Amino acid sequence: MTTTISREQWGSRFGYLMAVVGAMVGAGNIWRMPYVTGENGGGAFLIAYFLLLYLIAVPGLMGETSLGRYTRQGLIGTFRKVYGNNRLVGLGLVILIFNIVLMSYYSSIVGWSIYYAFHAVLGTFTQTDFDTAALWQDFSGNTALNVGMHTIAMLMVTGILLFGIKGGIERMAKWMMPILTIALIAIAIRGVTLPGAMAGLEFAFSPNWEYLARGETWLAALGQALFSTGLGWGIALTYGSYLGRNDDIPLGGGIFTAVGNTSFGLLAIFAVFPIVFAFGISPSSGAELAFVALANAFGSMTGGYFWALLFFMGFFFANLTTAIAITEVGVTTYREERNTSRTKAVLTICGIIWLLGIPSAMNANILGYLDFVVGNWGLPLSTFITMLAIGWKFDAHRLRVLSLNRGADLYVPRVWELVIRYQIPAIMLGIMAYFLYSNLGQTPWKTISGLVILTLMIPLCMWIMNRRHDTPHVANSTGGQSS
Amino acid sequence: MSLSAIIVMIASIIALWGVASCALIVSIRHEERKLALLRSQGDFEPFSPRAFRDLERWLTQHPESEHAPEIREWRQAQRDSLQRNPQRFYDWSHADDDVREAP
Repeated sequence: MTTTISREQWGSRFGYLMAVVGAMVGAGNIWRMPYVTGENGGGAFLIAYFLLLYLIAVPGLMGETSLGRYTRQGLIGTFRKVYGNNRLVGLGLVILIFNIVLMSYYSSIVGWSIYYAFHAVLGTFTQTDFDTAALWQDFSGNTALNVGMHTIAMLMVTGILLFGIKGGIERMAKWMMPILTIALIAIAIRGVTLPGAMAGLEFAFSPNWEYLARGETWLAALGQALFSTGLGWGIALTYGSYLGRNDDIPLGGGIFTAVGNTSFGLLAIFAVFPIVFAFGISPSSGAELAFVALANAFGSMTGGYFWALLFFMGFFFANLTTAIAITEVGVTTYREERNTSRTKAVLTICGIIWLLGIPSAMNANILGYLDFVVGNWGLPLSTFITMLAIGWKFDAHRLRVLSLNRGADLYVPRVWELVIRYQIPAIMLGIMAYFLYSNLGQTPWKTISGLVILTLMIPLCMWIMNRRHDTPHVANSTGGQSS
Repeated sequence: MSLSAIIVMIASIIALWGVASCALIVSIRHEERKLALLRSQGDFEPFSPRAFRDLERWLTQHPESEHAPEIREWRQAQRDSLQRNPQRFYDWSHADDDVREAP
């Protein structure tokens, strides 16, 4: 109990849980998980996925949230507390930069969902003989419109973040996540009652056990479990830093966050695949599934206006709550590091993201390249750095004894320390090596350039933080262990 | 649908929505209990019996650590809370007497 601090906290347990699960539930849960499940052995994939979720994502999220709650700081402040005032704090800056780059192109995806939600409100998809493929092609080719939607997305994120943790993020999540749940349940009920819908559920759930012996199945399950939960990217750490000192972490920040997030993926399977199969659409993933295939199916359904509206509004909410969380990582860190007001921090970080996001909004190839670099190496590297900081530098044993089991609804045993210290870092190294091996032959330029950028970024960030520490640093007023 | 697909579907619903719903309900109920204790007696013990034993064991193993003073502060906070407050958040009925009875 070192210092007394004044730091905003979540207003309610329900609010925190909705905000953190909203942070994790994004486009991937809705437009990726159903397809990945069906393509990788259905039930066999789900078994592999559950195992990895409980063995990696749940313990990892517990550790990240717990560290944030302990330090009560953003990314860089946490790394400063863990490593001391030296260049290794630059590792926190590396993760922060990945977050900002990730958000710079994720904003375009939020923009797409806003555009389609708007069209759902207008009733575009239910017009007679409406061509959804042509709409998507026209939209994709319209640079000004894409930049405009990216701008609207960032304005929305800015507006919500200006209201703060409790008044902005929590208030929105408390409404949006229940609405998203109801929307997906309603669509799922409608979907499974369509003729031919059962084939979709058969595709998703029928277990092909031989897939369990395939490495690709486990890798796909691992990728979904890690990327869907955002483990190690600073989101759980930042949200955890706004928890009270005796709030539970293992049950809420660990199990509920990881399992709740995946539950939305399961709900998406029920909502998406029955409709896809009932209308004879080839199962796919990504923008083509959501904006072409499903939009087309909704247009052909009885009451299509209502179903399209539910789906695209829900999809927009899922993307927006994730965008808010990714941006908040930068906002919290900037506010603490610059010792400035929240308003100034929000405007600065959102302004930077908006500017950096313009190229991705203008050119889909840039978006694809950034997604390739950040997804293949940036995010696994972030998870690796975070787990090393928790497991080795801070000491997983000390964190478990001092923070994780304090106020806990569930007791976390010692085996958790082994997962944090050895299992997750080893898996992250394996993932990065596999991505390198599999991409080097197919896309050598993208792979090598991405690796060069990453290799240069780590020493550069360490040099920046080292220089910053050489100059007198004003200890910020929001640090400290307890209130 | 095949029987195996139905079994996997039902198992998935239980493993995901069942667990998530239970976690949400338990978490919110515990939070309500914590708030009730805060209102009635001002605070409650921060560590469960098992977690408190871990805390004491850590101090036994690392008495000279630079982090020991912080852990000692938390141990003391726990003991003070156990002495001061008649109501407990955690179940201490099966805890060892040396842990339950704060010196």
